[in-house]
Amino acid sequence: MSKIFPKSANALPLQILIFLGILGGVATAGISYYATPAYLRVGYQPVQPVPFDHSLHAGQLGIDCRYCHAGVEKSATSSVPAAQTCMNCHSTIKTQSPLLEVVRQSYQTGDPVPWVKIHSNPDYVYFNHSVHVARGVSCVECHGKVNEMKVVHQDKPHSMSWCLDCHRDPASRLRDPKDVFNLDSKTLADQGKLADAKKFVHDWKVNPPTSCSGCHR
Amino acid sequence: MKRKFDHSAPAQRELTGPKYWRSLDELADTPGFREHLAREFPEGAAGMDGVDRRQFMRLMAASFALGGLGLAGCRRPEKHILPYGKSVEYIVPGLPLYFATAMPFRKSAIPLVAETHQGRPTKVEGNPSYLPHGGASSLLAQASVLDLYDPERATAHTSGAKTLDVVAVNDLLAKIHKTYAGNGEGLAFLADESASPTRARLVAKLKKEFPRAIWAEYEPVQDEPPVAAAQAAFGQNVKPLYRFAAAKRIVSLDADFFHAEAGSLYYAREFAKGRRVTKATDPMNRLYVVESGFSLTGSMADHRLRLASNHMLAFTAALANKVLGTDTFAPLAQGLDFPNKDKWIAECAADLEHHKGESLVVAGAHQPVQVHVLAYAINAKLGNLGKTLDFVAVEPSAASTVSALAAAIKGGSVKTLLILNGNPAYNAPADLEFGASLKSVPEVIRFGYYHDETSALAGTHLAATHYLESWGDARTVDGTIVPVQPMIMPLFNGLSEVELLARVAGEETPDAYAQVFATISKLASGDSKKAFEKFLHDGLLAGSAYKAVSVAFDPARSGAAFAKVPTFVPLSLENLEVLFATDHKMDDGRFANNGWLQECPDPMTKIAWDNAILVSPRLAKELGIVPGGSLLQVARKEEAEFTQGKENAHVYEVLLNGRTVRGPVHIQPGLANYTIVLPLGYGRKASGHIGTGTGFSAYAVRTADAQGFATGAKLVKTGERMKLANTQEHWSMEGRDIVREANLDEFAKNPAFVDGIGMESHTPPVLGADKDKSPAFIASTTPRGNSLYETPNLDGLHQWGMSIDLNTCIGCNACIVACQAENNIPIVGKEQVLRGREMQWIRLDRYYSDGQADAEAFGAEGNKLLPEDPQVSMQPMTCQHCELAPCETVCPVNATVHDDEGINVMAYNRCIGTRYCANNCPYKVRRFNFFDFNKRATDSLYMGPLGKQSDMPELVKMVKNPDVTIRMRGVMEKCTYCVQRVQQAKIAQKRKAGASGDVLIPDGTIKTACQQVCPVEAIVFGNVKDEHSAVSKLKAQDRDYAVLGYLNVRPRTTYLGKLRNPNPAMPDYSALPLSRVEYNQKNGHAEHGAAHGHEAEKHAPEHGGHN
Repeated sequence: MSKIFPKSANALPLQILIFLGILGGVATAGISYYATPAYLRVGYQPVQPVPFDHSLHAGQLGIDCRYCHAGVEKSATSSVPAAQTCMNCHSTIKTQSPLLEVVRQSYQTGDPVPWVKIHSNPDYVYFNHSVHVARGVSCVECHGKVNEMKVVHQDKPHSMSWCLDCHRDPASRLRDPKDVFNLDSKTLADQGKLADAKKFVHDWKVNPPTSCSGCHR
Repeated sequence: MKRKFDHSAPAQRELTGPKYWRSLDELADTPGFREHLAREFPEGAAGMDGVDRRQFMRLMAASFALGGLGLAGCRRPEKHILPYGKSVEYIVPGLPLYFATAMPFRKSAIPLVAETHQGRPTKVEGNPSYLPHGGASSLLAQASVLDLYDPERATAHTSGAKTLDVVAVNDLLAKIHKTYAGNGEGLAFLADESASPTRARLVAKLKKEFPRAIWAEYEPVQDEPPVAAAQAAFGQNVKPLYRFAAAKRIVSLDADFFHAEAGSLYYAREFAKGRRVTKATDPMNRLYVVESGFSLTGSMADHRLRLASNHMLAFTAALANKVLGTDTFAPLAQGLDFPNKDKWIAECAADLEHHKGESLVVAGAHQPVQVHVLAYAINAKLGNLGKTLDFVAVEPSAASTVSALAAAIKGGSVKTLLILNGNPAYNAPADLEFGASLKSVPEVIRFGYYHDETSALAGTHLAATHYLESWGDARTVDGTIVPVQPMIMPLFNGLSEVELLARVAGEETPDAYAQVFATISKLASGDSKKAFEKFLHDGLLAGSAYKAVSVAFDPARSGAAFAKVPTFVPLSLENLEVLFATDHKMDDGRFANNGWLQECPDPMTKIAWDNAILVSPRLAKELGIVPGGSLLQVARKEEAEFTQGKENAHVYEVLLNGRTVRGPVHIQPGLANYTIVLPLGYGRKASGHIGTGTGFSAYAVRTADAQGFATGAKLVKTGERMKLANTQEHWSMEGRDIVREANLDEFAKNPAFVDGIGMESHTPPVLGADKDKSPAFIASTTPRGNSLYETPNLDGLHQWGMSIDLNTCIGCNACIVACQAENNIPIVGKEQVLRGREMQWIRLDRYYSDGQADAEAFGAEGNKLLPEDPQVSMQPMTCQHCELAPCETVCPVNATVHDDEGINVMAYNRCIGTRYCANNCPYKVRRFNFFDFNKRATDSLYMGPLGKQSDMPELVKMVKNPDVTIRMRGVMEKCTYCVQRVQQAKIAQKRKAGASGDVLIPDGTIKTACQQVCPVEAIVFGNVKDEHSAVSKLKAQDRDYAVLGYLNVRPRTTYLGKLRNPNPAMPDYSALPLSRVEYNQKNGHAEHGAAHGHEAEKHAPEHGGHN
């Protein structure tokens, strides 16, 4: 009986296995890199209707975050300011700037400025700004150094595992409460005061929820 | 700030609002059907154009909205943040605001606090500043928010087919003023009852302006005792205020003071104060109820007598004879007959006499004047006046009646008729033929919230505002003036009643705010602006309650009331009595288009989406409705007429004085033998898609001379069958220990009686070595109860738990709808309820027991028949948050797990809908989203991808609570202990704590929605880890037990056993509650411990024939 398969066919199963292994590996590596928020979201930098420059306002001029994001210490959302807030200054500064036309329009007509949302959590996630800033978590931790951004982009992945990283180890991310809104400050851990941070966690009973009900209701 | 929306005119289909909960069928797409619609809603709902929406959106302030159509790349949709142009005072996006307001309701408003999210009211709670209600509210108040966002409410002022704008409406009203100024001949008003001081002032002005005009008021339901009775008894215009908390012995004469009487919220609360027992030595009130129907009040009775409403006068006379020690009223008591009559009355009277000054006899508002006079006489003799019964001075109503108005219309003297609210074409007495007579009035102007039966007969319809969008004022049952404050601008440019009257009266500033301000500044002392601000802030005007007056019973004077007395009618199958009952949900029909209420099961019958002719088991037998078995039994050998929530009811025709109405018959245990009950408020012909066609209208057989009840009715068989959606087909506990009850004397001897009942008393201690440890210890230690499963550490700072007192729970259903409003629970429609797919997270179980259920409940003679005289046990049942939750161990995806504070949480996004958890739940409290109930109209649920994909109308979405996820199809859900409230409280506490360790939430901060609404404070939620918390104290009580505790699931919700307080001298006395008798029968005469009923079991109240 003649041979139907050449001898080299004996190596085929192994080759197929190796091929599938490589394919699987590449697919896994690809998905775990490209299909996660760390790739899909970080760096998202849409064009805003008003070219507002955070590096100028918050960085150079040193305006406190809370001047505009006034709800951050009270509410779940930090709230994007009303056009009125912009006009507090811009009714005397750069009153004719064409870049601010949209803001002036909004102030006069009440139509909102359609800011493009950058940091967006799904509807089933109930994140609360106020409790984080009240307990020593700085804006920087989630938003990056906004005071150095000319155009704001997403700096952190905001995925669930990323949230949990911190919730499971709060001591490494805490700041001195007076530094929360100072975007150039360092965490206690980075200042080499990890022991202090751990003491804070203990004394303040910082116990970030790691159960579902902490964020999903 | 406003949301940016596409303001182009919405499509025609959207305008007519077909996609509310139950939408029109696909016919809506055909031009013919649209034409039909146009005829049906001639007011042109199409008036909801861009301008209206824009105006409303200006008030709205949502932070985020989807936008950027088509511009986004494929990476992610572009979302927008839309801030205000100019900031709005007090509003911080994301934080709710609370304002005091009130729900006007006949003459007894309910003070409320409304929660608004960026200008959008989503939930109301009772106003805690109003002490008589103590922060509680009612079923109807909870559901009223949904009406605000009803897409089928009247959305435009119309005249014929023409839409009127605001200017035209104002002109119209000014014209009426001008035409009739100074005389008023030919002008008539028909309004509903109101306790608004502003309206009273304006009506007085109207009478001055138009001296010959007719001002008539009509309420289909009488909920206050007739002033004529007080006038006869005391010679004063007073109304009674019952002080149930001070009453130790209470007799109700056909009075359902938990529901149908004005002030029922206050009364229920006061009653619970006298009912609540914390230790074995505490006293407890005793309730005797004599009634024809089976009311919630009757379900709480310690002694309940079934007696026709018509015979109530005879009974009252007999009781009065005994108490007063006379024979004066003997003629009135002629014909009265029921088993052990003399003993019943004598012992009841003796019990009252032993409690002089702390007893109370209450007569139902629908009873004739004579019953009330006799009740006053009894109370006076017992020395109750001023103690358990106060009287307050009220203005006698100067309004004309609907009968007089109908006569005037027939006489042709009415040229212009203004109908303010109400719905006389639907609910006026049938003999007046009010609807038909409207045709002879040249100009009929209807002012109403819906375009209903009456509007269809009126030339002009003016759209009324909801109370949450209008200025007004009202009085509570005790007369305290409360503000009705708007939370939102009128969504559809509606008109408020105050403004309408002010315009007709020719007021200079007809604006409703100005009118209310004027009224209050006259009544309040001091700076009027400050006083008004305080009034709005507090939500009530302090010291404005009706003045209490002292009264003395005048026997000579009251004799006049007996000159003409209603006749005693012996009843039989051929001569039935009809009781027209205020419905628990529809009330008089005004809530017909409210989906929450329609879907909420009736507290006694458990029927949703319909009413039924209620008949007693005996009458049913005589009618031949119960052939071999019982209608209410399922899983029996005999003919079961129940399958999976489908009650296959016989349709009968009620024949009363030549008028007929058809409806399904439901057998209701506990009715007087020959009384049939017709709940009012159903059978609407022109409501929305929710209300139209549910049930039958009992108004069709109700005449002006017999508003409360009538005799001479017959039931005629039609041979047809109809499916009723009944959510609890099984009525018996079958001798199990679900609800554990004892009589008060047993409780005094054996406070821990609950431990002697149930499987736990037969098994080794399920808690192992931890058995005698404190609840706080048990709640937070592992391993729990020798479990094989590894369980998570419950090491959170708080450990949440709940206690429900079955002794005070009256089964009013308010918790069900409060939960629905708080937690965005959808409604599913009758068809899905028929399949047992209702979604309410709380189920109120209602059990009957008659002492007959035997050891062989299946098949034996014992409880084959429906009980005629059952005892009722109510039990709110919802997720028990078991520490060793059976649902969690079977979930393949860990979608339901415990959090560290002991809450059994649902991660909706993980759920893949296997429903294993629901199958493994011993309490059957998990609910599954079989469809996208929040997205699809209930009539296109089965159309799959062919159905309309569009969302609910924007208006309907506005009622949703933004703090709770909207669940989608294929997801399991259940009670979460209002986890959103828990988390918000924790966040608030941590925010307050800042850089300190003060993160423990003080007890009482968190109230779950069901707890907050509960009129009787039966539900308490809190931290069981804290031994001093209210809930821990309740759980430490002897009466505390866990339902199905022997399963060792360790529920965090536990119940306090129910107590009954029967009088040993009464003929129907049973030494054990009847459910315990059944329990003992089933389990044999138990030998484990004293609690197992070695006492004499004298049960079985005689099932005697009385009529």
